[in-house]
Amino acid sequence: MAEPYKVWQCRTCGYIYEEEFGDPGEGLAPGTRWADLPDTWICPLCGTPKADFDMIEL
Amino acid sequence: MTIPKEVAETIVDPQAYADGKRVDEAFSWLRKEAPLDQAHVEGFDPFWVVTRHADILEVERQNDLFHNGDRSATLTTIEADRKVREMMGGSPHLVRSLVQMDNPDHMNYRRLTQGSFLPQNLRSLEARIREIARGFIDHMAAQGDHCDFARDVAFLYPLHVVMEVIGVPESDEPRMLKLTQELFGASDPELNRSGAVLDVDAGVDSIQSVVMDFMTYFNAITEDRRANPRNDLASVIANGKINGEPLGHLEAMSYYIIAATAGHDTTSSTTAGALWALAANPDQFAKVKANPALIPGLVEESIRWVTPVKHFMRTATADAELAGKKIAKGDWMMLSYPSGNRDEAVFKDPFKFDIERTPNKHVAFGYGAHVCLGQHLARMEMRILWEELFARLESVELDGEPRNMVANFVCGPKSVPIRFKMH
Repeated sequence: MAEPYKVWQCRTCGYIYEEEFGDPGEGLAPGTRWADLPDTWICPLCGTPKADFDMIEL
Repeated sequence: MTIPKEVAETIVDPQAYADGKRVDEAFSWLRKEAPLDQAHVEGFDPFWVVTRHADILEVERQNDLFHNGDRSATLTTIEADRKVREMMGGSPHLVRSLVQMDNPDHMNYRRLTQGSFLPQNLRSLEARIREIARGFIDHMAAQGDHCDFARDVAFLYPLHVVMEVIGVPESDEPRMLKLTQELFGASDPELNRSGAVLDVDAGVDSIQSVVMDFMTYFNAITEDRRANPRNDLASVIANGKINGEPLGHLEAMSYYIIAATAGHDTTSSTTAGALWALAANPDQFAKVKANPALIPGLVEESIRWVTPVKHFMRTATADAELAGKKIAKGDWMMLSYPSGNRDEAVFKDPFKFDIERTPNKHVAFGYGAHVCLGQHLARMEMRILWEELFARLESVELDGEPRNMVANFVCGPKSVPIRFKMH
């Protein structure tokens, strides 16, 4: 069974990345897993590094 | 290339921002000919003008290298700076909010209220905000077939939302709006306290007296919320602790002031500017009216279009190189958000209002650690207003010449006369 989709949030600005929906505006297709984003990926709203995101439950 | 005198004078001139076209032309010239250079304007310390989108991001993401608090965080004259420092015991700031702070204070003070503005926590406000939006749309409909959208709707709706979030009673909202307009409209004789064009001395005195009025008001709120905490932002500020201690008095008052001013005025400007743009571009109105899925795009484009915060200043904490230029420790830098948001290298046809613009990575909310705390609330307020309004608004056109505030810091339209049909 596939791993449930997770949600990640930027600690600086609150931007939410939901794996289920991806972020097509940023070139991230629905279903793109957090682990598949490169370590160099940054928050599209404020530039915070990937390492400074927290997994949250909505 | 040095910045020619007339260009440098334009980008500090509040009247040029009211005119719109003049300041757009000056920044277009700068982006092409001198995208990062020093402006020398009589009465001002020299400052670098950062006009390109990429350079603004570069400065904003390096918070330790480019500080907010070391010198004035907003453009000010040498004389006004001297007067403020005299009043404030050497500090260049009349208030000390997140805007004037650097780490570690900035992070500590931001965390205090950040949770209130996270998208997941704002969801609980959606129904109430929709109710408020409907009330203002009913008010608009009651005007008949014309109104001043800025004064009748755009100034009042975000004000009401934000004052509820803070915990300011509705009866005090007119006072909060007047104080906000007196603060940001200090250069505008139609909005400032004296009703006249002010010289530097009188301008600083006017701003200080507005700040004092805010402080008197929020002192009383603090006392009340310490005795009777409620579920509002004022209670968070009044009872908050930083490193185990209550907030400093200046910092607490400044927190209220920024929430009670920038918290609504910027959204009001963007809302007013959006309807102005839709009335002037009927094809865009027709598109969003026919397809409400375009509303988030309208919100984003109107934020880019209006860019209500015209600049913030940064100060280099060490010698640095930016875009091939040597910035010296202590140099003062103007981040020009309207210029970044019209940067031809990032935005195709930047002077076209296009609700389907994608991507639309504007810098109107800033970037990096200082990115606007209330950005998710602002977007949500506008989305809800347009969802409700476009369900009833059949047509809209300008009914006279809209006018902008005379200001070079935070500003937008002050009058948007429209003629409309709605059911």
